[in-house]
This record gives sequence, structure tokens and C-alpha cells, in this order.
Amino acid sequence: MRFNEKELVFLSRQPPEMAAELGMRGPKKGDVVKKRLVKLIVNFLFYFRTDEEEPIGALLLEQCVVTKVDSQTFSIAFLDEAERKYLFECNTEEQCKEWMDSITKASYEFMRKSLIFYRTEIHKLTGKDPLEQYGISEETRFQVSNGAQFMHRDRHTSSL
Amino acid sequence: MKLNERSVAHYATCDTPPDKTGFLFKKGERNTAYHRRWFVLKGNMLFYFEERDSREPIGVIVLEGCTVELCESSEEFAFAIKFDCAKARVYKMAAENQAAMESWVKALSRASFDYMRLVVKELERQLEEIQEAASFGGAGNGGLQGKPKSSRRNQVARSRSGASSSSSSSSSLSSSSNAPPMAVPFSAQKSLQEEVQLMAGCSKENGVAWSKPPANLANGFVEVASSCAVWEGCGDSGNVIGYGADGMRAPPVPPRRRGASLESPVSPGTGCFSKLHDWYGREVEELRVQWLQSQ
Repeated sequence: MRFNEKELVFLSRQPPEMAAELGMRGPKKGDVVKKRLVKLIVNFLFYFRTDEEEPIGALLLEQCVVTKVDSQTFSIAFLDEAERKYLFECNTEEQCKEWMDSITKASYEFMRKSLIFYRTEIHKLTGKDPLEQYGISEETRFQVSNGAQFMHRDRHTSSL
Repeated sequence: MKLNERSVAHYATCDTPPDKTGFLFKKGERNTAYHRRWFVLKGNMLFYFEERDSREPIGVIVLEGCTVELCESSEEFAFAIKFDCAKARVYKMAAENQAAMESWVKALSRASFDYMRLVVKELERQLEEIQEAASFGGAGNGGLQGKPKSSRRNQVARSRSGASSSSSSSSSLSSSSNAPPMAVPFSAQKSLQEEVQLMAGCSKENGVAWSKPPANLANGFVEVASSCAVWEGCGDSGNVIGYGADGMRAPPVPPRRRGASLESPVSPGTGCFSKLHDWYGREVEELRVQWLQSQ
């Protein structure tokens, strides 16, 4: 599958949400733990050899499962191949928790759900759709349920 | 550079709802003819398939840091996806009619993760304000003067831009006049700037769009805030972690401890989505168990 590699490498150089040196082990049999500079940027996890400019690789963090392996270690697996796990060894339990938390929330799908939640809550409290003023209330990705239009209880209070 | 391609391809065809689909003509790289492809936009990933019913995408364009513009072309209804990096490729596309072109340009220019994050943060902030106003009996912002919470609003800026010099937790507490206004993503993403303009109109305090403290504020500060308001925002719901100029993260700070009121499922007045998300998950699980046992 083709992808715009140059642009992705450029993305890997942007200010990361999180960056740290972690031990990382690939999913293949025989892979060993290696020290890597790991960066979380938007919904990608980039990993570099320390002090190298170009990342060795990137993981798109959609449809992934983050699991605690032990107090300082977590793994990432993807729903389509759950047995293939990428392992990450952190330096402290705290760091492990933070990375797990951040990675779990680093997906577009998670943000979509957050947005729908806030939109619904705000509407419940104010009777207004907060997305209306930005002109994006009709977009599919912001709808409460798959493709269904955003519904509200009191039709007379809003022009949805 | 490696990529978890199999899983990325799976994301294209899995059951999460696509944000937009349709046929577009895409100009080839070597073969400069326009080829008709089936496009699926999911989040910040634009997948293209040979046919509508192809099982695997031919390719994907990661839409982070791009701009979408109308362009000159032999094709009608043409537009281009451009990136800001050196020697970046320009993806020339053409739609089948004016409406489709406009619709795609709109969707693609707002497809970035950064844009989504801005919208989420803005709504989160709005919900905070509404709940604050509600819990103080509609006294409005005036009623918040002198409370530590309002001083938090003035202080905090999220320094995500690479140009920012705040590199430690102490400097992120400094006045927001030091922080860059409105964390704009690295590329000059014009359409996003537009949206940012829109949102900046609604934001307060030195152009900072949101007033969520980074997770690395001292715990002492957090304790004060939590004692004065029944509700408090969730500081670690977003990916806001301070980092140094060299890209390395500041020493991690333990997650904020919350008061008992936020643990209650009966008061879903919390603005912290992720907390609620976890809580509902547990509730659902408990209900399931109960139901199963009653069978």
C-alpha cells in the first residue's frame, strides 16, 4: 500500500505530545528489546534510533489495544492482528501509565467520541448546538450516531 | 520508513464510519493521466481504492499538515492537496461536479487531527464554563473573581508550538503573554487558520483558546483548584504534556487526584469525557454481568 512517506517523516519532526527513550520490541518472533526514542505525534507513534533524524518507523494508533504487561511495561496490538504485539519498556510505573493513557487517547476515533459527548452535554445544558456557529454541525463525523443527524429534545428551542 | 501497513489498511475497511466517500480523479505520479479511484476519508487518512468494492486500498494520503486548494488544471473541478515540507508531492485531484469538489475540499481541509483536537478542546472549555456558571447559581464570570480557578485561566497556555521557549513545568506557569498565541500547527495550514480565527473569537485571555492546565502543573496548585469547585476539568484528558525544546518530555507528574464528587456516577456533570467514558464502560460491564446472572 502506498503512503506519503516524505510527509510522514516531516510530521515526525514536529513537536511531539510525548517523547521519551523507551525499550521497544517488535512483534516478530525473535525480535529483541532495543533502546528507541519514541515520539507521540497526533495519532502516530514514531520510533527512532537515538540521535537519528529519520524515524525507523511509524505506527498509526487507530484500532489499537494498549495493554499493561507489568508495572513498567505495556504493549500495543492492533485489532486486525491481536497476537502481534509491540512491547514498550518504560523507566518508571508513572511513565508507563502516562504513555498508556496518552496512546489510548491518541486516536481520531477517541476524539470523535469526546466531541460528540461534549456536543451532547452542551446541548443538554443550553439547548444550543455548539458546532452551529462554526458551520460544521452537519458533518458526518460529528453526528451522534452513525450518520444520523444530531437530534435534540426541544425542537422549539433550537433550529436543528 | 516502516509503517504498520496491514493495520492501516484494515482501518480503511473496518466498521468505523468513514467521514466521506466517493469517486475522484487522481493524477498519477509517473503516469500523469487522471485515474478514477474510490476514495474513503477516515479521520486524517485519505485512502484510495481501485474500485468501490476493492478489499484493500491501493494507497493512503496522511492528511496532517496539508492545505487543500483549488488549482489550475486541464480537468474541471480540480483541486490540490499540498504539503508544507521540502520536495513534497502535490496531489492533484478532480471531482465529478462543482458540488462534489466543494464538498471534498471542505472535508479534506478539516480532516487533520489537529483541527479535531482544537474543536474538542474548545467544546471542552465551553462545557467547563457552562457548568461553572451553573454551579455558581448563574453568577457568571463575575462570581469567579478571586477564586483560584479564574487565576488558572489567566496563567495557563498550552505551549505546543515548536517556537515556544517554555521548556519546564515552572515556565508553563508564567504569564500567558510569553506563550505563543493560539497553538497553530506546524504548517501554515490556511484552512485551519481560518477555523482558528473563528474559535479565537470565542476564546478569552490573551488569545489562548483553552485554559486547560498542562498535566505538569505542581500538585499543590491542583489541590487548591479542586477544593473551590465541585466540578473541575480533567487536566490529563488531552495529550497536553510539556516538553523541552529538544523534544524530550519534562519529568512526568503523577496524574491529578480527584475529589470524591467526580467518582460519582450520579453526577455526570463532570466535564472530563475520558473519566465518564471509563465510568460508563464499567457501568455497562456491571449491567452485563447482572443481566447474565439473571438469565
